[in-house]
Amino acid sequence: MAARDDQVRPAAFAWPRGKSRISPELAAHIFTACVLLAWAIASSVLPSYILPSPVMVGTRVVDLLTTGAYLRHAVFSIVHVALALGLAFSFGLALSALAHYARVTRLLIHARLNGFLNSFSALGWTFLAIIWFGVNDFTVVFAMAAVILPLVIINLREGFLQLEKEVVEMARSFCHRPLRQFRMITLPLLAPYIVATLRITYGVAWIISLTAELFGGSSGFGYLLNRARMEFKLDMIFAIIFLIIFIVYTTDRFVWIPLQERMRRHYAGA
Amino acid sequence: MPAPEQPDHQQRFGLVDHLLGDSLLVIVILAWWAYSSRVPEYIFPTPLTVGKTLLSLVADPPMLMHTAASMVRVVTSVFTATVLGSALALLAYYLPVTREIVHGRIKPFLQSFPSIGWALLAIVWFKISNSAVIFVEVAVLIPFCLVNVSEGLRNIDLELLEMGHSFTRWNWRVFRWVIWPLLYPFVIAATRMAYGVGLKIALVAEVFGAKSGLGFLMYQAEEAADTPMVFGTCIAIVILFIIGDRLVFEPLSKLYRGSNVATAASRTA
Repeated sequence: MAARDDQVRPAAFAWPRGKSRISPELAAHIFTACVLLAWAIASSVLPSYILPSPVMVGTRVVDLLTTGAYLRHAVFSIVHVALALGLAFSFGLALSALAHYARVTRLLIHARLNGFLNSFSALGWTFLAIIWFGVNDFTVVFAMAAVILPLVIINLREGFLQLEKEVVEMARSFCHRPLRQFRMITLPLLAPYIVATLRITYGVAWIISLTAELFGGSSGFGYLLNRARMEFKLDMIFAIIFLIIFIVYTTDRFVWIPLQERMRRHYAGA
Repeated sequence: MPAPEQPDHQQRFGLVDHLLGDSLLVIVILAWWAYSSRVPEYIFPTPLTVGKTLLSLVADPPMLMHTAASMVRVVTSVFTATVLGSALALLAYYLPVTREIVHGRIKPFLQSFPSIGWALLAIVWFKISNSAVIFVEVAVLIPFCLVNVSEGLRNIDLELLEMGHSFTRWNWRVFRWVIWPLLYPFVIAATRMAYGVGLKIALVAEVFGAKSGLGFLMYQAEEAADTPMVFGTCIAIVILFIIGDRLVFEPLSKLYRGSNVATAASRTA
């Protein structure tokens, strides 16, 4: 029996795209619709504390965005994320610069300290912070910053390694003040790496904020999540999670990607 | 001709670097010791106390049960997530119509879903049980495996694949002798990464979903302000990762290196 044509093709072409009657994009839309429909059907059979309906969750999302008390928690979460990112970036930049300029510290920072920080769990930092500082905003920011810090160090290390030696040397020949050299030459060269790191850590920060606020805070979406957990309000749990996913996705799509693209064009032009 | 200069980030640390770097590490540990001897143990335990707690996690039978429970859950979850993640990646590869479903819907959804969210949903859906913990871990780990295996499939040399198909008309033989050896490093990388993340996620999952395990121990320790145990469980996770990585994943990652791939490819012929 003669082999069929698609049997002798490389596996990548075993199911040619042209043969499919629907496009992958249309298939994805159908899939989304089917999942929503299945969710709606399942939620009509199950009690709402097991699976709330999409409508209930949607209503809760609207509540979260329009009710004053909830908005206050949203503001707290935004502040926690911003402060944690600021703290992690300040320490991360300082440690990466130290490892870059003082060779003696390189092994300690990149191999020992960062290896340790990277494998230390977020929950561990949160519990230690609660013991050290109590349940407050600083605990939340500290735990989040401790989780983000190794990511910042890893990414900025790459940035420092890619610095053009000739440009740095030129800066040295024009100016003898190291701080000025760093501000005028090194920092702009590091900018694409800083933006890339911000993009990665921003999403992580929002996700970690829930854990840190749930255990160590008295405000923010994580705190609301804890309250919803104790009151068995699964619709609120779903709403907060979807809101976090929405915030991370839209910021990435409309802020970080355009910024990174602009940065890429700027540096490619140079 | 002089050897090409090794990129800076690939340079190994020399003896002097180790001497200087590690002496700084010793200074850090001494500073920890000095500070912890001045403050109460529940604020900052001494390295010795933490060391004793760590030892109890493997030497004390009830504690060992907690460590073993966490490890069994992590290994089960890593295996399940690798199978499911690879299956999704292969589905998108062999059935292009599902590509957008896998990479445009399932992957971003799982990637951005917070682990604490899965943990809270798991206790409602599965109650406090092993299934709840494993569910959380698998849900968090699937995207790591999916991304790595998809990357492996994307990097398969089409010419090699074409050569494989010129020797046999059986797709499964091409998969076994050509695709699998090329995909193997990516699968191992995925499993390796999932193991590291899984150990950390186990803590979150076990706080809510279990009555045993290192996460459960850590939560109890936090409630009782038993700081040495909080430190101990965190460091135990770091040590378990290093042991698994060195003893299991490093030998596994060498399995198909070099001649093995060539041998596997030549068997197809």
